[in-house]
Formats: sequence, structure tokens, C-alpha cells
Amino acid sequence: MTDLLNSPGDQAFREEIREYVAGELHPDTRARVSRGAPLTREDFSRWQKSLHAKGWVAPAWPKEHGGPGWTARQRIIADEEMFRLHTPPLPGFGLKMIGPILIQFGALEQQQRFLPRILSGEDWWCQGFSESGAGSDLASLKTRAVRTDGGWLVSGSKTWTTYAQYANWIFCLVRTDPDVKKQEGISMMLIDMSLPGVSRRPIRLIDGTEEVNEIFLDQVYVPDDLVVGEINKGWTYAKALLEHERFGIGGIGRSKQLLARVREAADASGRAGEPEIANALDTLEIDIMAIEATTLRLLAAVEAGVKIGAETSLLKVRGTEIQQALTEVMLDIAGPAALAARDSAGVQEPFENAVYQFLNWRKLSIYGGSNEIQRSILATQVLGLK
Amino acid sequence: MIDFKLPDEETLLLKATAERFIADHYELALRNEMLTASAGQLPAHWGEMAELGWLAAPVSEEAGGLGLTPRQVVPFMSVLGAGLVLEPIGPVVMHCAPTLARALPSDKAAAALAPVLAGESIELIAAGPANAPIRATREGDDLVLTGSVPLLIGGAQAAAFWVVAECEGAPLLVRVPAGEASVEAYRVVDGQSAARVSFKGVRRAAPEAIAGCEEALAYGNDLAMVGKLAELAGLIDRLYRETLEYMKLREQFGRPIGRFQVIQHRMADMFIKREEAQSMVFLAAEAMASDDTAFRSKLVCAAQVKIYDNARAVLRDAVQLHGGMGVTDELPVGHMVKRLLLLTRLDGGRMAGLRRFRAAA
Repeated sequence: MTDLLNSPGDQAFREEIREYVAGELHPDTRARVSRGAPLTREDFSRWQKSLHAKGWVAPAWPKEHGGPGWTARQRIIADEEMFRLHTPPLPGFGLKMIGPILIQFGALEQQQRFLPRILSGEDWWCQGFSESGAGSDLASLKTRAVRTDGGWLVSGSKTWTTYAQYANWIFCLVRTDPDVKKQEGISMMLIDMSLPGVSRRPIRLIDGTEEVNEIFLDQVYVPDDLVVGEINKGWTYAKALLEHERFGIGGIGRSKQLLARVREAADASGRAGEPEIANALDTLEIDIMAIEATTLRLLAAVEAGVKIGAETSLLKVRGTEIQQALTEVMLDIAGPAALAARDSAGVQEPFENAVYQFLNWRKLSIYGGSNEIQRSILATQVLGLK
Repeated sequence: MIDFKLPDEETLLLKATAERFIADHYELALRNEMLTASAGQLPAHWGEMAELGWLAAPVSEEAGGLGLTPRQVVPFMSVLGAGLVLEPIGPVVMHCAPTLARALPSDKAAAALAPVLAGESIELIAAGPANAPIRATREGDDLVLTGSVPLLIGGAQAAAFWVVAECEGAPLLVRVPAGEASVEAYRVVDGQSAARVSFKGVRRAAPEAIAGCEEALAYGNDLAMVGKLAELAGLIDRLYRETLEYMKLREQFGRPIGRFQVIQHRMADMFIKREEAQSMVFLAAEAMASDDTAFRSKLVCAAQVKIYDNARAVLRDAVQLHGGMGVTDELPVGHMVKRLLLLTRLDGGRMAGLRRFRAAA
């Protein structure tokens, strides 16, 4: 689809990205990404090494901490090109979540200890926020940290922990003061997953994969130097985390890549000319354009010094709606050709992952603050309806 | 004439047996165990289904069946659909058996159907896709069948196929033992056993073929659709009930989330979709009694479009409102969603339904 960012400078930057990716991306990884197949640990770590070698692995980090020094506009372009070229989207738990938090709030020793290992991929981080009783209402979390000599003993459980099976570190929100307003008794702690008392149960998802887990913490010792920032300020840090790269949450690059893939499938199956299919795809292309134009407009406002708050929630709502709609159009195009179980004798290209992507991507409107929560944020914080 | 009278005793009895069957055999953990069987293995409870008389339900009494009306069978099929059965009950009971009962004179139908209704032989209608029908060509006294069915539910478990073959511009029904077809077994997304069934120059004696079967095939296709819509209506109903229950149990922000207005409105919408689905499947079942085939087909297509649309909307909301739990394999919701996806996409979907609705003036 049409690139809105297409000045000569933009084009030169795109070319630079393309050239590097072409020489680095492993063909197997490329093939899996382009077909919407589940990605392996190897796909991620191999690609992280390539990006790290070039200094591109953490686009939004400040230069002094290892970022490439790109402008917001360049980051959007890079994201778009990376998706277009079928690079695997690296899990953001280290690079987009705890890394920026440590840069903003962490102690110097924490930064020196962890940031280089996040960039290199030596450490794989996962996120310990949600609990079975604390999802949308995250602040009601119950995992407890009790004071002990030189640190804390943490007990409780966390859930929906993506890729915990690969992780050696987890950043957790824990309750350090049960006697104050619930948001004010929460701290953020960094926990070594190899410690005694940490255990894991994989959760089988609707698409048959096991990418999320439940994590159990039983009297796990966390020394004081692994508490992020101040005690009882964890809620503030968690909120700041949600604001990082908030212009990226529309997932424009991801949507454009998927649109391209659905169009290819429509062509391959000879259905691209059917009015229902053509109308649906063109409408979604325009939807993507609208969300991209909105992103760019908000960005321009920020660059002109206007303060943008919770408005970016709209990007998440619309972005995920578009992506889910695209997986559904893919199924419409496929018809019965998408219905065979994964890897069975009945699979038909190019629809071998269509049902599973539809199923897996139901999560997009649930995780990271469900779309219901995002709309409530818009209504209360932007529209002032409270 | 369409009549919305309440279900009679036979209907309720059949439905109650189905409910007991599901309670006994289809608890989630038991079902998950069944999914580990190979796709070609015979369905676990087929014999019991035959003993219960289910396989004979909508077949006329002259052909050896129970002579139940589509309206009487719908609640039963709804229970089995919502119960996520893995046996090919729809393709045999709602499609193959009633089609044969109409396509053959009753004595011949009774003879052909006896092993099917007794549960000794699983037999299926095998029709190619609309744009690639199976062809029959005459060679002397033989018919030679060529073509394939890419996805046939139960295909790997069948003993014989009743092939719908185009011959000189008209359809024929030709019985082919499974051993003479090429059968490639696989599972579909909801765990049911299926197969790609191909006929590569299969020879049958021409007099064996049933000609003049257009009316029976059209009736059978419509009835099979009613069976599928009954399953979908059952799934919609169960998704609605389980989601409603969860909205009352799940607490966030200090109260059950069902007390938030945004959830209330979405549950109210889901209720509306469920009511519409129930109404439309009964409408379609009633229409099956009509001699006016265009009228019948129009109503069945209308029900198809409405129920497919509602099923998709209910799928989205049931998963979303269950939150993270909705995308796991640990609750029945995830499994129902996969069944629902399968059922709404086995044929041409809503677009094909709309086209047929428009054509059936």
C-alpha cells in the first residue's frame, strides 16, 4: 500500500534498512514470518544479534544507552520496513519495557548490569504483572513481598507471562505495603528466574501453542539492589512503561504486512476480483491509512510541543481491530481451505496458518490493556467523562 | 405454513438423551483424550449412537427410520453441537441417510440404509466443490468417476461414499466403497476427523447409479444445512450462557464485571443474537416440511446468513469478554470457538448463502 512517509530522505532511509536486512535475515526466519507461522527462539535470537551488531536493536533508546539516535519518524519507517521485509518482531519485554524503565528510573549499577545484556540478547526478560485475580484491575495484585534481612521475600503467582520458558529474568509488580491505597503499595522488582522458589506452568492457548505461562513465586529472595527505583512507586513505573513507544502501539507496520499477505492470498486463490473481497481489503487499507495519518498528526503535535496524553489509546484500539479484521478476511478468502489442523495432511497453501493466526490474534484486543480498558481511558482521561 | 408451536414430547425426549450422552462422554478432559486418536480410527461412540436410535432419527419410517421431522431433530443436534461431539453425526444423520431415503424407492432405501442406521457402516455423501464437481463418464456399461472432495468430515472413517457425480449435465448418485477411493486422513481445526477423498478413474457398473436424484439431493443439502445451523445455534446458546455466567463470577475493580454497563450492553447484544439464532433455525426446520422447494431453500439460506453472522459476532465477544481465559485451551470456550469457525466455513460461507437467497426468488 501507499507509503505516506516518502520524502527523498525517507526513501534513502528505507533503502538503508532494506540493504542491511537483505544481507542479514535468515531465509528460514523470513519464510516463517511471511507465512504467519509460529516463530522459534532461534528466529528471535538470531535476528536480535543481527540488529545488535548494527546498533539498531533498540530504536527508541537514547544514544548514550545504545540506541541508534533515530527520530520518531525514522522509527516509524524502520518499523514499517522491518515488517515489510518479514523480519521477526522481537519480543519487547526487555527492549521496550524493562530497558526503558531502567533507563528512566533504575540505579546506575542496574543500568550498567542489565542494559548491555538486554541489547545483546544475553538476558531474556519476561513480564510479571497480571495475576489470575488482577487483569484489567492490575492494581489489585496480590503477590506479596515481605521484608527480610537485606531484601524481600516474594510469594505469589503471575500469569499470561509470554515466553517465560525462554526467560532468565522477570520484572514483577509486587505488593510491599498492604495497608495503603492499592496503587500506593506496589513496588517493581527484578527476579532471577533460576532462583529456588521460582516455578512455571505452561498455558496451552487456543491455537495450540504454549507461548504464555503461569509463574509461581514461593519465598523468593530479592536483594534491595534489585528493587527498581523507590519502594512503593511501582505503579508509577508501570504507567510510565505503558507510555514508552506509545506511537508504535497502532502496529501500522504489522497491519501493512498482513494486508500485503492477505492480498497475495486473494490473488493466489483467484478471488481478488470478487466485490466482497475487494471491498473488504480496500476498506481495511483505508482504515490503516487513517490510523497512520492519526499517528503522524499526533507525532507532529508532540514535536511542536503540544502535550499528548492518553489519546494514543485510540491507536491501540483501532490498530488491533484492523489486524483482527484482516485475519478474518483471510479466512473468508480461504473458505474450507483453511480448516485443516496445523501440520496435518490437509493443509493448503497459502492458508496453512490462517485459522491459527485468527485464533492467536484474538489476544491483541485483550493484552496490554484490553480495548475496553483503552476506551475507558479515552473516556475518562481525554474526554473527561468521569 | 410456518408454525412456532412448542416442542413436543418426542423432541424433548431425544434432546434429553443427547444431554445425558454429552454429560457422560464429553467432559473436556475425556474429549481431549479422544483427540489423540489417529484421524482414521473409528469414532468412539458410534455404536452407542446407533443403539440410541439417533442414526435413524430423521429418516422416514418406510425407509427404516424413526420418521422424526427436522423440527423434532433440531434441539437434539443443538445439544450435540454445543457438546462438541467428534462423531460425524451431522454428515450421516442429517445428510447421507435422509438423502438416500428420498433418492431411492422405499424398499431399496431400507435395504441400503439398514447397515448405516445400525451403525455398522459409516456412509457419506461425497460431492466436489461447486467449481470442481466430480465427473462421471460412460465407458461401455461402466461409469468412470474422476474428481475429489478436499475436505469431507468423517471421510477417514467411512466405509463407503455416495458420490454426487455430474454425468451428461445431470447428477448421479453412485456408491463407492472406501477401498476404491483414495482417502487421505487428517484432523480439522476443531479436532474432528476428516479426509481428502479422491476418485481417480473409479469404475462402477452404470445401472448401479441412481439417476433423477436432483430433488433428493437438494432436500438433503438443505437438511444438512439445518443440522449445521442447529449445531451453531446450540454453540451460540452455550457460549452465551457460559459468558453470562463468567460475567457474574469474574470480579475486577471490586465487583462482578457484569455490573459494568459496557459489559451489560454487549451481553444484551449477545442475548439478541442468540434469540435470533434460535428463531431462525426453527424457521428453517419448519420450512423443510414445505413442498415449495424455492420457498424452503430461501428460508434455509436466510437462516444460514443470519446464524453465520451471529455466530461470528458471538465468537468475537465470547472470547473478548473471557479476557485471557478466552484465548486458552483450558475452558470449553476455546474449543467451541474452533467448532464454530469450522461450521461457518465448511461451505461458501455467508456470501454463498446470500447468493442462493437471492437466486431462490
